[in-house]
Amino acid sequence: MTARAPLWVIVLVGIVACIWMVPIVGIIITSIRPPEGTMLGWWRMDHFDLTLDAWRKVWSKYPLAPAFWVTVKTAGIATFLTMLLTPAAAYAFHFLEFRFRRIMLVIIINAFVLPQQVVIIPLFRLWRDMGLIDNIASVLVPYVGLSFAWSIYLVKSFFEDFPKELIEASKIDGCGPVGTFRFVVLPNSLSPVFAVGILQFLWTWNALLLPMLFLRSEIPLPVLLARISSSYEMNWDMRSVAAIVTAAVPLLVFMIFQRQFAAGSQTRSGAKE
Amino acid sequence: MAADVTSMFEMRRRTFLAGAGGLALSTVAGVSRAADEVSGELAVLNWAGGTELDMLHNLQKAFVAKYPKVIIREVNVTGQGDMRPGMRTALMGGEKVDLFVNTWPAFRKELADAGILRPIDDQWKAYDWDKRLAPSWRDLGSLNKVTYGLTYTFGDRSGIWFKKDHMAKAGIADMPKTWDEFTAIMPKLQKAGFAAPIAVPGKYWAHAEWFETLLLRTAGVEVSAKLGAHQIPWTDPAVKTALQKYATLITGGFCGPAADMLATEWDAAADQVFQANAKNFILIGMWLNARAKDDYKLSEGKDYGLFQFPGLGMGHDDTSSVDSKEYVVTANGENPKAADAFLDFLTTADAANIIAKAGLASPSKEVDASLYGDVQKVATAAVANSKVQFVLGDLLPGDLVDEYRVQLQKFLQDPSDANIDKVLAAIEEKAKASY
Amino acid sequence: MKTASAPSQRGPDSVNHASAPALDYGRRRWRLGDAPAAILLLAPAMVLFAVATIYPLLETIRISFWDIQGLRKPVFTGFGNYILLFSDAGFRNTLLTTLWFTAGVTIISVGLGWVLAMLCALAPRQTLVFRMMFFAAFGISETVSGYMWTGIFRADKGGLLNSFIELFGFPDFAFAWLGNANTALWALIISSAWSAVGLPLMLIFAAIQSIPKSVLEAAYMDGAKPLSTMRFIMAPLSLPGVRVAVFINLLTALRAFDIIYVLTNGGPARATETVGYFIYRESMTQFKLGYGAAATIVLLVAFLIVSAPAVIQRTAGAK
Repeated sequence: MTARAPLWVIVLVGIVACIWMVPIVGIIITSIRPPEGTMLGWWRMDHFDLTLDAWRKVWSKYPLAPAFWVTVKTAGIATFLTMLLTPAAAYAFHFLEFRFRRIMLVIIINAFVLPQQVVIIPLFRLWRDMGLIDNIASVLVPYVGLSFAWSIYLVKSFFEDFPKELIEASKIDGCGPVGTFRFVVLPNSLSPVFAVGILQFLWTWNALLLPMLFLRSEIPLPVLLARISSSYEMNWDMRSVAAIVTAAVPLLVFMIFQRQFAAGSQTRSGAKE
Repeated sequence: MAADVTSMFEMRRRTFLAGAGGLALSTVAGVSRAADEVSGELAVLNWAGGTELDMLHNLQKAFVAKYPKVIIREVNVTGQGDMRPGMRTALMGGEKVDLFVNTWPAFRKELADAGILRPIDDQWKAYDWDKRLAPSWRDLGSLNKVTYGLTYTFGDRSGIWFKKDHMAKAGIADMPKTWDEFTAIMPKLQKAGFAAPIAVPGKYWAHAEWFETLLLRTAGVEVSAKLGAHQIPWTDPAVKTALQKYATLITGGFCGPAADMLATEWDAAADQVFQANAKNFILIGMWLNARAKDDYKLSEGKDYGLFQFPGLGMGHDDTSSVDSKEYVVTANGENPKAADAFLDFLTTADAANIIAKAGLASPSKEVDASLYGDVQKVATAAVANSKVQFVLGDLLPGDLVDEYRVQLQKFLQDPSDANIDKVLAAIEEKAKASY
Repeated sequence: MKTASAPSQRGPDSVNHASAPALDYGRRRWRLGDAPAAILLLAPAMVLFAVATIYPLLETIRISFWDIQGLRKPVFTGFGNYILLFSDAGFRNTLLTTLWFTAGVTIISVGLGWVLAMLCALAPRQTLVFRMMFFAAFGISETVSGYMWTGIFRADKGGLLNSFIELFGFPDFAFAWLGNANTALWALIISSAWSAVGLPLMLIFAAIQSIPKSVLEAAYMDGAKPLSTMRFIMAPLSLPGVRVAVFINLLTALRAFDIIYVLTNGGPARATETVGYFIYRESMTQFKLGYGAAATIVLLVAFLIVSAPAVIQRTAGAK
């Protein structure tokens, strides 16, 4: 495809992307200018000073490193579990037949309507009664459990295009349902699985509401950085630093793993003989 | 499975009351032997951030210097905007703390009703805090004549801020003392190029400030207190008069179009006055002082000043709306002695001066007033000479506050008499259901 | 639970397995029956799901029948919350606003994301940087990016939008965008769609990348121009990705809170309040958990009515 990449396409996408970046440029500039310069707007040139003050303040006042590791742990485990369990579940829903299949699917899809704030209070009481407050499991269970509401549908949608010949072939070879999943379906579904992984990582990395209420001693980055904001001080320079620091890692993950999307097409082309 | 909601609360209340009774007895007995008894861990629930947190940390450090056997453990509550949900969840979740800061009288009532707070009347007598705090501060922290909170800082909410060079530009030498003077200088400012001199931040809550002080000036502290407790209806003529006075500012064209007001938060409104030099007056709390100094880099008293809300001549000109922060102690805390010692420490000169140095006002009689900046001096003096009433919005129960603010927004959109009636009727409807 | 294995065991679509037509799409029962495999593959996920979702859902239904305010003792109120909800004219307006907001954000973000995905798929390597930019917009905290948007829509000449308008010579058109009900809603739609585009872009791009290379090769051989490739090959074949993108973006918009809080606080005078914001306000700020729960149930039922037939029909058997 690259040989045919038309220039106008690249230019068009480029222009839209650059316009899209305006608010992000704003955040970056707000983080490196003193607050009095950006109060009337970060684009104003009235007093133009650049300073790394906000960056230094955030670094020295807040224990970023421990929070960073906590976030890596929680987001990492949650993403791993979701990437492991979702394809299996989606496979079962799409390729297998069992009682209650459709009702369960309806329930799972509708679960996505539940806003987080409705979920946290009952869970809070449950964790408190089980003594799990401030335990990493108290956030991992909802992170993974809530992800199924959208992830199963996502992977299942991709299965709709899955070449049936491969399934037929594996059956002929005597593979049972689990085996078909392990050896035929899963290896050819890396694309949606990585999509689920990237999204889950992003959402669990950025998660604020759940860890804010469930974790006390070891807190992740977003909760730590939420403490920068105080209602009566509009310290947007530091808040911008917080936003950039928090967003950097998922972006990196996206960059590294988005290659997996292209991987799908290579293996797929092998199916048509 | 989680226990039934009703029985859970009942159980808690019984436990708290039992514990509270026992603790009260032992506390009174133990108070006399102060310093050597005060030791152990003191758990503090903290929700402050930014420079306010720095000041609280300074207070804690000084306290530990005085009582070295105490170790302070902070339980941090994070939140966005309103901190109460986070605090509720922490307290509901069985987090055991000894003390925390409260700034909402309505929340104090909620906590007291749920049995979470321990009254401090006995401590007040035993430590003789009346020597260092005027009785009005005790009243501010009380509920139905029972004292729960010790006020450690307060803020004048009836002070109007302005920039000195604007006044010079318009040829205004003295700040207005009466309402008529206030409205009279408007045309002068408009001629000097300020199209709408008053910045009203109508986006969230700050537009209510004007109404609240106007209510105090037209009807006095008792009426405002009665309204806060819903002993008089919102459709009362006194309330209507206050809104009508507010309306004159809007219809007079001094505030700008409604869409502008509704799109502006207090910080944007302050920027309008102090940075963009497009407006002249903003009625907002004392935290603007820190912003003016740190963010706008202006000099207190030289570049900007504050004058108390003009008098209406209706007999209540010695009233002010104030906000305050108080420390409250819990009924199930594990170290009540240390908690009481901390409260006592807050009234001393050391603590008062830490607070004053941070740019805030301390109610303690032992504070070194020379630490206050010029603006702070004006505000503190005004409050000292007034009958005070807590900010009305913070007295109202949860869902009524919201309705109150939204209806006032509707008022800003249409300040006509007919609409005032509609707005007040709507608030009254909601009030009936909220108390 | 089905045990052993007889080829004559009938499946739910009443077809004899030995001669099932290709339409069955691979969903035939294996020798041992599907149930054991299904249990093995589903159990861990379903347990986590049940704890994280079903349990809170049941609790939500339960507390929707109680009147809970702050730390006060809860009072049983039967259908009281629901009656209050539906008799509140404000709530009805909220539902309408939600409709506009959700539709606007979903159509714009998915539509734009779709077009961008197809364009990017024509030049995947060269557009990597741009795709990352859109993903950055998606990944950055909505509270902070929301604040940037307030700066853009700021009322006075200090707002970026107003500055532009002035620059191009129309100073009278400078406006308090967030202070007027209609423009405020559009401001919300635009800023939400701005964040949301990254997701459809990523998903649909992945879907297009899954199209077998041979198909695209064949089209190139036949001399197809990029636009036609997009219209006739990429668009139809990326539909699964589009469907998922609509699903996720629509439901995210339905529950949106942060962006509304930062930009308008539901104002002016409740004009931009959506059901998601309403639920947050009632549950977290007012701590009227029962009332918020009732609103959630209403939302859930509404969505169920709309989605259940579609889901059941789509998963009936053949595609």
